[in-house]
Amino acid sequence: MADNEVLSVKMKKRGQSKEIWRRFVKNKGAVLGLAFIVLLTILALVPSLIAPYGFDEQMLSRRFKAPSLEYPFGTDEFGRDIFSRVIFGCRISLTLGLVSVTISCLIGIILGCISGYYGKVVDNIIMRFIDVMLSIPNILLAVSIVAAMGTSFFNLILAIGIGAVPGYARVVRASILSVKEQEYIEAARSNGASDWRIITRHIIPNCMAPIIVQATMSIAAAIIQGAGMSFIGLGIMPPTPEWGSMLASGRAFIRDYWWVVTFPGLAIMLTVFSINLLGDGLRDALDPRLKS
Amino acid sequence: MNDNILEIKNLVVHYVTDTTTVHAVNGMTISLKKGESLGLVGETGAGKTTTALSIMQLIPDPPGKIVSGEIRYDGQDLVAMSPAEKRSIRGNKISMIFQDPMTALNPVLTVGDQIAEVVRLHQKISRAKASIKAQEMLELVGIPGERYAEYPHQFSGGMKQRVVIAIALACNPELLIADEPTTALDVTIQDQVLDLMEKLMRDRGTSLILITHDLGVVAEICQKAAIMYAGEIVEYGTLEHIYNNTKHPYTIGLFGSIPNLNEDVDRLQPITGLMPDPTDLPQGCVFAPRCPDASEKCRAAAVPVVEVEPGHFVKCVKYHG
Repeated sequence: MADNEVLSVKMKKRGQSKEIWRRFVKNKGAVLGLAFIVLLTILALVPSLIAPYGFDEQMLSRRFKAPSLEYPFGTDEFGRDIFSRVIFGCRISLTLGLVSVTISCLIGIILGCISGYYGKVVDNIIMRFIDVMLSIPNILLAVSIVAAMGTSFFNLILAIGIGAVPGYARVVRASILSVKEQEYIEAARSNGASDWRIITRHIIPNCMAPIIVQATMSIAAAIIQGAGMSFIGLGIMPPTPEWGSMLASGRAFIRDYWWVVTFPGLAIMLTVFSINLLGDGLRDALDPRLKS
Repeated sequence: MNDNILEIKNLVVHYVTDTTTVHAVNGMTISLKKGESLGLVGETGAGKTTTALSIMQLIPDPPGKIVSGEIRYDGQDLVAMSPAEKRSIRGNKISMIFQDPMTALNPVLTVGDQIAEVVRLHQKISRAKASIKAQEMLELVGIPGERYAEYPHQFSGGMKQRVVIAIALACNPELLIADEPTTALDVTIQDQVLDLMEKLMRDRGTSLILITHDLGVVAEICQKAAIMYAGEIVEYGTLEHIYNNTKHPYTIGLFGSIPNLNEDVDRLQPITGLMPDPTDLPQGCVFAPRCPDASEKCRAAAVPVVEVEPGHFVKCVKYHG
């Protein structure tokens, strides 16, 4: 008897995720974004299965070939297949975006929570620190971190991640300030919930909408910034195929060989666009209040 | 050891800001026996909710501050407890029902999870057992257990208040504080919710402090009533004392403001004037400026509490000596 009841509760729970999925699927743009991200993830996981050539396979006899059946995106100044390089570049860009956003998201949420929930002196100290960070241009901050720690993939991720922390901290703090005044927070306190429990179970879930928006936007921003850092030579070093560095090395030939920069650029653009679509869709689907 | 579950002695609560001090509760003394229900009646701003929050030890600090006084639950002073001890009492021994069910439930958690949460906070039981308990509680307040996994926005106002009651009673508290539990509901639902509360309290022997500005509600489910005015209790006694042997001019004024079905009157008799500014309370009796019977003696010095008959206390010079 008791087991049956537990079972029915569990089934209801599964019904909820189904419900979220149903709402998500309704949003055509979000599904499109998700499909493209899934495709990119597959490319990032097994690039060698799909790419027709290796990313560093040079052949000077086939320099600057225009896009054709043999080389779908053409070839670059070393005769490397751009299509293959774009595919291999997925892994770098996606990792960069996801890992740096995870870093900044975690630090930002922690700082924002402490600052917004406890207020007073702690809030002042954290927020003034954030202000100081905000006063440094993002690219300068990233450049100095990489310059100080040396150019490597991990340092690049760290630099970009740290640069995005202030944005999160501010967004999280602002939404916590409004959520913590709600009566259900007081009700939770009157039920004997501890600060930790109130923050993690009652406040943060209610702040998810702005956090998700901020996260998806900053994944895109991180990919672009990574590309920018590679472009100025402080990110991924050639011959590793990073989209930004492909743009950087191709820019000298833009007038005669448009495909060298166009396809990596399109890849960046489409990735960023689909992540934004996905983020919007997620935000709407996860909010139980927006049920229609 | 006495059988009082709650004793408040000389409670003084102030809200202190940079420029002013709001005297919210001024020397309140009250006690409640096990299984008894007390109606705390007063106008907006009389300090009813502040009293409730003091008992829960949830006065927002700053600006709120318990300046002096004791709040004893089962003999232990709540004011002096450590935060962890306070937490183990809240929701477990003393629960509170908030005024507006629309905002008292977390919109992103299912109602079942919210009931199960309070059970799991205070009892060491598994998630599965807690959710069964939550379903039982839902059934108990008249909501089908299958609605466990639904969100607050899928419920009507009256049903939300039932959920809130289920949360408050889930751990079998000994004392329930209901802060205007029916104010946000329409009249028919009010009645259902009150009936439900009364039944559950009687079945479980829970004591109740019902905060309201509605004397009718008090008459329905309370045994005792305390009339609050400007942070003080001006009259306290059994329903019999308060309703049939009304002493304090303020209480008399309150009853004069209620339409009577049996009498044909053109106009009600409201109490003239407004509550005194809590940042600047008058000397002597706080009600004196509005009191029809006020004399010089009232304004001169603080008024003592008089026991006019056993268990019936009035704070008015008229009955002094």
